[in-house]
Amino acid sequence: MSKIIGAVEIGTSKAKALIGEVAENGTLNVVGMASRPNEGMRKGEIVDFRKAAAAVHSALEDAEKMSGTTVDEVYLAQTGSHLKGQMLRGSASVSSSDNRVDVTDLQRAAEEAKRRKPDDGRTYVHHVRTPILLDGRVVQDPVGMFGSKIDLGYWSIDGDDQAIKQALHVISNYSLEVKDLILSSIASSTMMAGPDLRRAGTLVIDMGAGVTDFALYRQGFVACTGVIPVGGDHVTGDLSMGLRVLEPYAEKLKIEHGKAISDPMDEGEDVWIIGNKTIGDRSIPRKAITDVIHVRIAELFEILSKELEGLLDPDELKGGILLTGGASLLPGVEQIASKILGFNARRASFPTGIDSELAQPENATVLGLLHYGLEDHGLPGRKKEEVETGFLGKFRKIVGLGVQS
Amino acid sequence: MSQDNLFPKETNFSPENEIPGIRAKIIGIGGAGLSLVDGLRFDNFQSVEHLAVDVDSRALADSIAGEKLAFGRRHTRGMGTGGEHTLARKAMEEEKDVIRKKLEGVDLVFLLAGLGGGTGGGAAPVIARLAREAGALVFAFTPLPFSWEKSRHSMAEECLADLRKFANAVIPLPNDSLLQMGGADATALECFAEAGRNVSMGISAICALVFRRGMIDVDFVHLRKAFNRRAGRTLFGYGEGDGEDAIRQAVRELLLCPMLHLPDVSKAADALLILITGGTGMGMAALQQVSTEIREEFKAGEHIVFGAHVDENMGNRVQITVLGATDLEAGIPTADVAPTAKEVIAVLPKSKVAHSSKLAKEKKGSKLKTVPAQPRNKKKDDLDQNTFEFMEAENQRGIFGDLPSRNIYAGEDLDVPAYLRRGVKISI
Repeated sequence: MSKIIGAVEIGTSKAKALIGEVAENGTLNVVGMASRPNEGMRKGEIVDFRKAAAAVHSALEDAEKMSGTTVDEVYLAQTGSHLKGQMLRGSASVSSSDNRVDVTDLQRAAEEAKRRKPDDGRTYVHHVRTPILLDGRVVQDPVGMFGSKIDLGYWSIDGDDQAIKQALHVISNYSLEVKDLILSSIASSTMMAGPDLRRAGTLVIDMGAGVTDFALYRQGFVACTGVIPVGGDHVTGDLSMGLRVLEPYAEKLKIEHGKAISDPMDEGEDVWIIGNKTIGDRSIPRKAITDVIHVRIAELFEILSKELEGLLDPDELKGGILLTGGASLLPGVEQIASKILGFNARRASFPTGIDSELAQPENATVLGLLHYGLEDHGLPGRKKEEVETGFLGKFRKIVGLGVQS
Repeated sequence: MSQDNLFPKETNFSPENEIPGIRAKIIGIGGAGLSLVDGLRFDNFQSVEHLAVDVDSRALADSIAGEKLAFGRRHTRGMGTGGEHTLARKAMEEEKDVIRKKLEGVDLVFLLAGLGGGTGGGAAPVIARLAREAGALVFAFTPLPFSWEKSRHSMAEECLADLRKFANAVIPLPNDSLLQMGGADATALECFAEAGRNVSMGISAICALVFRRGMIDVDFVHLRKAFNRRAGRTLFGYGEGDGEDAIRQAVRELLLCPMLHLPDVSKAADALLILITGGTGMGMAALQQVSTEIREEFKAGEHIVFGAHVDENMGNRVQITVLGATDLEAGIPTADVAPTAKEVIAVLPKSKVAHSSKLAKEKKGSKLKTVPAQPRNKKKDDLDQNTFEFMEAENQRGIFGDLPSRNIYAGEDLDVPAYLRRGVKISI
């Protein structure tokens, strides 16, 4: 029997809902998709609960209508500058007398790694496992191998209780369960960077409207993630102020004429703000638009470079830098990213087989949610469900959701 | 005191028909304040006095202000404060009585103080408080340091918040934005000079409003009523036009004025002062149109002071000055005897939906109150509500200033446009 799963991203510019059907053979079909402008959100955080909830609910409703089915549980993307990541490590010595690694050894190491409690008022959002080391060697699945010591780590992201609760309540108000919270950056990089790229080492930068999420992969595992509270809205805001135009016109100018890098062809050329040349319309040099955008985008990558200081190692980043998200559509961003970060940056492309209507950079996160949700992220030798109750169960207890059977 | 003979040519107004009885004082505090006062070019208002206040006696000696006051000698021995605003504040508090005496009988006070330095930042809030206590209307023009001067900048913001508690209107002039003034190849000095000129125009406009008879006349009482509350955000803009289409040109320039496009400025004003000065040829129809346009642009509520003055010396030129204040802190009682914003609104006739404050969050309450009060005007009411909603959305989305927390990264507020913080000039 096929299974229906849903994904929700509460984005700063749009709330998106996606419904997928997993066939018996494990293939995923997107059967419903809707997005609604979201006015309840600023810089990746909910500022107006009712507006955000209304946008999410109507997106979910439309997606359900389109698919002709209903969903019971969804994967929810989580972002916002309140999220902080850290590496938690655990180790265990192999207990059996013949030095053969057992599942319980892995579990002990994992427990030790996750033992550290988050600070007051904060909750873990996501534990992402990093490679397992058996006596210092990276192994895929050590169960059954010989060795004496297991080391493993979790890149653990914790966030503000209130912010997470609010996001969860948006979903529970629609009588849905949140199956799992997934970090936006991890969701979008799951989609945009294939397993081979992740193994080669790659940095995925998801430039959204409110925030820019990034995830750095090394050896196929997450090495670092982060959120920078600067996004496409900042570009619009800057244009609005710099060119002295109202925000809707600034947005329009950004989309129609925005470039992040100056183009000698544009020298001396003007564009009209409204375009109908009526009273109140005026023309502005293209150069002014480019100048405003360039400073902002360059600053964004400078901040990224500061955040990733010491982590960008040419040997560990053979996959280069991938850009996605709505704001990555600005012409010239990839040149600026390459120049400032010092690695080849390019716009990420969707894997083949995704409907061209869906294959837009702004959909990377929500599509990635489904794909990430389908993958098995548990410890080798354990069933997926077991792992989930491990950290999500704790969540449910904290946020007051019923424990899922 | 009068300095007629010093700057005879630059004046826009002739000293005849000046209305007596109201006294204004321009007070420059600290280095930046002093240089602004010295740069003013409209010194022939009979009842406008200049006072320079500083701890640095040498700087004071160079000032051309009519009245000078050195303070804090005991603490600094006549030298500067070295950026210590707590020191300046302490010293100023000790000289309270001297300042009170200087403020006696003054109705209108203009404070010019750079908030990045010690003297301006520390003393300006104290003087503002004393002036309010003395019953004066206080307008403050305050240059702010560049945002890359991180520690000075954050200190200036503290002082600004302090000053806002007492002044009726505080017009921040961030150096970041001043660099955006003038033409594409203007030097930094020219930008600052231009900014100084705009400040002087602003003060001149307010003085003209109060002291001269105009074509459309408003007086001190109007001004007082419009601004008689604690200052929230303030907007200040200036535009000038020449030739046949002067008035349109002036409006255009006004709307492009960099000072109206600061991160801290919301373009919705609860109180708005518009002053148009033009030559004898200024047409009434054009005036009316311009006033409607400006009102709309700033979504002005009830408190509009509109003045038009004719000056033969202007020829075909037209100048428009706009000064507005948004009452951000409607809920917080004012520190002195002045009526609070709510009291002021309550007194006014409720012909339209009262905008208690466009940025205040508790708008639902006021909506509920006004609807049952005017059941017959329902249609008109709806219309007003719509514009209200539109405006609300505009405020929120344009600029991030309404968010409760700032987006600080390494000492810089990332929500402030990058080009402003990086000092990149955008020529439009």
